[in-house]
Amino acid sequence: MFVARRMQKTLVTLPPSASLAEAQDLMRGHSIRQIPVTSEDGKLLGILSDRDIRGAVLPAGLVPGFSAEKAETFLKTTPVEKAMTRKVVTATMNDTLEDAIVLLHDFRVNALPVVDAEGKVVGIITRTNVLEAFIDVLGVGEVSSRLEVVVPDKPGNLAQLVSIISSFHVNITSVLATGHVEEGKRANFFRIATLNTAPIKKAIEEAGFEILDPSMYTL
Amino acid sequence: MKRLAFAYHPDYLLHTPPFEHPESPERLIAITEHLNNCGLLGKMTAATPDYADEADILPVHDREYLNKVESACRRGDMTLDAEDTYLNRHSYNVALLSAGGAIAGAKAVAEGAADRAFCAIRPPGHHAGRDVGMGFCLLNNVAVAARYLQARHGVGKILIVDWDVHHGNGTQNIFLEDPSVFFFSIHEHPTFLYPGTGRRWEIGKGAGEGTTLNAPMAPGAGDDDYRLTFEQQLTPAVERFRPEMILVSAGFDAHRDDPLADIQLSDEGFRFMTRRVAELANAYCGGKVVSLLEGGYEIGSLTSCIEIHIRELLEG
Repeated sequence: MFVARRMQKTLVTLPPSASLAEAQDLMRGHSIRQIPVTSEDGKLLGILSDRDIRGAVLPAGLVPGFSAEKAETFLKTTPVEKAMTRKVVTATMNDTLEDAIVLLHDFRVNALPVVDAEGKVVGIITRTNVLEAFIDVLGVGEVSSRLEVVVPDKPGNLAQLVSIISSFHVNITSVLATGHVEEGKRANFFRIATLNTAPIKKAIEEAGFEILDPSMYTL
Repeated sequence: MKRLAFAYHPDYLLHTPPFEHPESPERLIAITEHLNNCGLLGKMTAATPDYADEADILPVHDREYLNKVESACRRGDMTLDAEDTYLNRHSYNVALLSAGGAIAGAKAVAEGAADRAFCAIRPPGHHAGRDVGMGFCLLNNVAVAARYLQARHGVGKILIVDWDVHHGNGTQNIFLEDPSVFFFSIHEHPTFLYPGTGRRWEIGKGAGEGTTLNAPMAPGAGDDDYRLTFEQQLTPAVERFRPEMILVSAGFDAHRDDPLADIQLSDEGFRFMTRRVAELANAYCGGKVVSLLEGGYEIGSLTSCIEIHIRELLEG
């Protein structure tokens, strides 16, 4: 999946000349924590986060005689280009959601502006957007039951499990295949659209697979 | 000794699965036989169900949904959506009779003919939402009973205690924004069990914020865990809410012998839960409890726990 599918396309941006006070209002109004700063032709110049604003106010606050009133004046008169981060970690339209997850993680940022070939900002993808994708992929909130099956790490097991489940005319709403604590084994997680899992579990066990007993998690 | 009404109708057996299915007529056959054998049937008064009036269903379900179920049955459809929620020609009428059983029990208590009621009804109801049937459920019986009590008997605040092992998602959604109905559900954690809802932060919406309380239990949880949750979560919530009547969505599938879930209650767990609900009813609403059968699929534990449930309703 490419980032375009999950990014926010209705963009809040700021010109570099806007004040930090304007930026703060925009952040509060849209419940966001970072705003791309763009030139008149939409090219990315930097990104301003709520942390950047705090960082700009902090040194000013150390000056003797600094007051709430002065802080307000400071925010109103300081342009965002003075506080923004210029070295921006971006995503491109060719990046996938996997790329975005790794970038967000490795560079420890909260958001990636998405830029096109000309360097224009076309969207933004945040940690929240990635979490939304994860919720969907896991099938959280969808009416379903969860099955966890441990299989030997050999090709064909997942296919066999899917065919057992489909023989009960039950939809699979989510699948995850991961490593398992035991070497040489993998764990397959299914979300299936049925209440009646008992006969499916029985058939899977009769085919020689191990169903994970969820009670073991309580230990 | 409390006067206990018993709502049951032989036509509940007409809703039969077209394939092997845990929610079968044999459940009710076993329950009535067992209650007869242990002499409890004679200690209750019959509250004979009638088909629920549309006027009593429409506050809970959309007309389009009722039409959909009715015509699916007439066409001879075998299921509503997936194979969970099966249908035969009789299913719509039996669903009306099942809701009617909930009404019959509620009526007996509201009119003072009985102190409490147990409704041995099927199909079950707590997964059915306003416009959708699922998880073996066609009409939401407990929701119909609650709305009936409010509309016809002027009951104000109602507490629903749902201890079926599956979250009562249908009931929760129906009363999500309604501060007059407090919905408490204790169930296996949604990460591990159908329907995948009933997380602890689902607490109601809008005016109904705070009158939904979910207690998801870890797989393997037993009597002591349930006892603690009743003491720490249900009891203080009831003290604050002060219901005028308590309805129970009584499923018996949290029993350790039940094949559909991973909760490990013993018979004693069901004795405790019933006793606690009866005590709360005595303290806050003149002892009035209407209990409705939801799930419970292992005949041995289903019948023994219903016997215990009824004994506690009679004596507690």
